[in-house]
Amino acid sequence: MTLKLYAYGVIDSNEKMEESIKGLSEASVYNIPYRDIGIVVSDLDPQAQIKNEESIMRHEEVVEALMDRFTILPMRLYTVFSGREDLLLKVKDHYEDFIKNLDRVRNKAEFGIKVIWAGNIIKERIINAHKSESPSADPTRAGTKFMKEKFEKYKIDKEFEEEADRCIAILDGFLNRIASEKKIEKLKTDNLLLSASYLVDNEKRDDFETAFEVLRNSQGGDLKYLLSGPWPPYNFITLSHPEDGKLGGLDLVETLLQHKSSGRER
Amino acid sequence: MDRPIKVLQDKKSYLDLRRQEKVTLLEILDRALEKGVVISGDIVISVADVDLVYLGLKVLLSSVETMERLRGAPMPGATEEPT
Repeated sequence: MTLKLYAYGVIDSNEKMEESIKGLSEASVYNIPYRDIGIVVSDLDPQAQIKNEESIMRHEEVVEALMDRFTILPMRLYTVFSGREDLLLKVKDHYEDFIKNLDRVRNKAEFGIKVIWAGNIIKERIINAHKSESPSADPTRAGTKFMKEKFEKYKIDKEFEEEADRCIAILDGFLNRIASEKKIEKLKTDNLLLSASYLVDNEKRDDFETAFEVLRNSQGGDLKYLLSGPWPPYNFITLSHPEDGKLGGLDLVETLLQHKSSGRER
Repeated sequence: MDRPIKVLQDKKSYLDLRRQEKVTLLEILDRALEKGVVISGDIVISVADVDLVYLGLKVLLSSVETMERLRGAPMPGATEEPT
């Protein structure tokens, strides 16, 4: 049986790992050097079941252990290579990119912010305000009614987004001055006002957390916040020629759901 | 190894810790499934990123709201490291 290589990340060192770290299926983690960088991997039995919560946590634990000692570009979860040659060929293609990205994220960590608001209530309020402003259309004229409803919906959505933009501008204005880069997603759902990642210099971690506390305490109870981190810089890696190897499918979701319903929650 | 997340909690019962682990897992999935270096080798095991992240968000919203309801108070001021 030929073992595969499970990859955790690209680090700014080509030296042998001094400390023993256990990866997926308890396999030892080691570094495969390429020029002045390295790709951290562990051997993987192709038959091993790795689509489960334990493997996800282990992947992250390995990446974070490496993050304490090196600058790391974390690999996407479940990146597997058929062997050393295959891996080195890919690394050769992306070497310049890796160097640029390692420089960009050196001595920095990612923080995640999620802000929840009562989006459904805010939307309801906007809808009610529109209802009281405009009389309903003549129900006998179907075409007019359809067009009017479409236009009303457009206006409501626009107003809702503008309200979200105003809130996000205040939140981001507070945090952005401490971060060196950011990625912001607005309204992933009606209630998830903001889902953001900030890249923060290690020396400014405390400042960032303090700013977050001040922000949270100044907003009353209308918004709910979740701060997470420090994370490896997952959101701040940009490759010139990204290869998206995803195959799609819901099997991982199903596996995780089965796992959860099989009695882990006691 | 310590898990990295800081979840906003003022006390930690067993249930709090279980919920904190769930949120941590979802935060990891949010990143590790969707982001990170992608240089596909011969094999990249199937990743259902879009659906899973969407699913995760729904669970996340629910878990944050549940945490708050069970405590019977808005998010407290303290931020604590997990143990």
